[in-house]
Amino acid sequence: MKPRTAEILREFGPFPEVDAVHGVGFDGRRVWFASGDRVNALDPDSGEIVDAVEVPAHAGTTFDGAHLFQIAEAVIRKIDPRTGKVLATIPAPGGGGDSGLAWAEGSLWVGQYRERKIHQVDPDTGAILRTIDSDRFVTGVTWIDGELWHATSQADASDIRRIDHRSGAVLDRIDMPAGIGVSGLDSDGGGRFFCGGGTSGKLRVVRRPA
Amino acid sequence: MDSLVTAAARSLALGDPLGALNRVALREDPAALALRGIAMAQLGDLPRARELLRRAARAFGAREPVARARCLVAQAEIALVSRDLAEPMRALGTARAVLEAHGDRANAAHAGYLEARCLLLIGRLDEAGRVLDSIDADALPPVSRPGAWLVAAGIAMRRIEAEPARAALDRAARAARRIAVPALVAEVERAAQAFEAPAARLHARGEGRLLLLGDVEAVLASDMLVVDACRNLVHAGDKVVPLSSRPVLFALARALALAWPGDVSREELLIQAFRARQADESHRGRLRVEIGRLRAELGPLAELHATEGGFLLQPRGDGASVGLLLPPHEEEHAALLALLADGEAWSSSALALALGVSARTVQRALEALAAAGKADCFGRGRACRWTARQVPGFPTSLLLPAALPVG
Repeated sequence: MKPRTAEILREFGPFPEVDAVHGVGFDGRRVWFASGDRVNALDPDSGEIVDAVEVPAHAGTTFDGAHLFQIAEAVIRKIDPRTGKVLATIPAPGGGGDSGLAWAEGSLWVGQYRERKIHQVDPDTGAILRTIDSDRFVTGVTWIDGELWHATSQADASDIRRIDHRSGAVLDRIDMPAGIGVSGLDSDGGGRFFCGGGTSGKLRVVRRPA
Repeated sequence: MDSLVTAAARSLALGDPLGALNRVALREDPAALALRGIAMAQLGDLPRARELLRRAARAFGAREPVARARCLVAQAEIALVSRDLAEPMRALGTARAVLEAHGDRANAAHAGYLEARCLLLIGRLDEAGRVLDSIDADALPPVSRPGAWLVAAGIAMRRIEAEPARAALDRAARAARRIAVPALVAEVERAAQAFEAPAARLHARGEGRLLLLGDVEAVLASDMLVVDACRNLVHAGDKVVPLSSRPVLFALARALALAWPGDVSREELLIQAFRARQADESHRGRLRVEIGRLRAELGPLAELHATEGGFLLQPRGDGASVGLLLPPHEEEHAALLALLADGEAWSSSALALALGVSARTVQRALEALAAAGKADCFGRGRACRWTARQVPGFPTSLLLPAALPVG
């Protein structure tokens, strides 16, 4: 595996009243990103924020095709994105040490930042089904076409990596330029990653290797 | 950064340290330790805050240099607020370099502001000015800006430059109003009031009047020979003779300036300079020696003429007069304050030597001045140093505004 350097295709933000971008999730049209006390919906073509749901939003964000899931403090909330209504709440597996969030194959996948772990979680009960170890602090988590990707941050450097979901072995790695961190992570299922920029307040589009 | 740390950091940024503690109180990882430390500092428990931040810095270690440097800056700020000034001086420069190298401009600028503030407090004005000039002003967090302008004002006030001081105070006031923190607005107002208050008293030709800082500047810029008992030096035009380490010579100069244009009798000079009650031959011999030394020191500024009864100070230059600049109010321990007012950091033993009194006497006087808020000490034991607090105080309510961990 030969690491490559991230190619940043586009940058959005910083946005008014957004101190930091935490979780990032894509619903097929819009990029939802968590900014503390709300989840914002950004049109990635126009760069405009077109909608928002007011709900505590401190870490990972994802979309299961119909609902938003959002981590805040030590819980994961299931939200109707049209009404903003909270439909269910489950405990987060890291007890508040949680970072990234992804939906795939009927499960939630939750990064536990400092423990360097990714948990597969039952979305109805919050029960941990299994755990994958990483060797770096885990920020964003996403699944694309059966591939598990996650973003890392450690020693003030950041990368996006594809790992074997059984062994945790790193299969592919994209290094972020110096000084650019990745908080939340999702993709459009095609050639683009959407990356939260933490306290820079930015959202970046990074080319996904073919 | 994880979910609860994010939530706790948001609480801190919104001025809710208890909310932050509620979220991370039981956690021992370094990010949580750092947030707990900052929250404890905001709640006023500085020893506990210092301990938590020290543990956080150690746990971050060399593998997380930026997070560690932020903890060091926060520790330095606590030490500065506690007037334990040797410690921040050691840590700030290094931490600032690490933050700059990793692109954390806001915290690097904040570290630079703290370093300048520290240098001003220990009287290293040139270095304080250089560090202040080197700060990336655009990156400075808004809550640090009023303090940075107060440092600029303090430097100008110590250098007796009234207009730059006034301009810096105006900018401090604007910066404080912009972020609308009442404690900070009040702090800047206190500094402005100190600036508007008389800075000195000028005694010339038998009359005294109070001077604002700008008047002091004008007097020093005039052709008057000024014996400055606020800083223990003699000043004429652009010539300055410092006498803060020569207390006997300064006492003679002061007595001669007070009497000008008259002369001063030998007996009076002996009483002023040696505290002699009656003059004997050995005193007269010593007076001759000291007058000779003063004549040599003041050579470029003034002549010393022997008169029938004593001595007369005669400034060089046609029409030049003599004035004596005194602190605005007669107060206890004035001689001690006058020595400290040179802006240098003094050891108590050096002060005792300069004043010709015992170390114990100086120590008692220093403790009284510190209790009255007129003097500050830093360092411990033999390394302890004293400075006068004649410049604006500094905001302490805004401890650690920019030290939040980021993901």
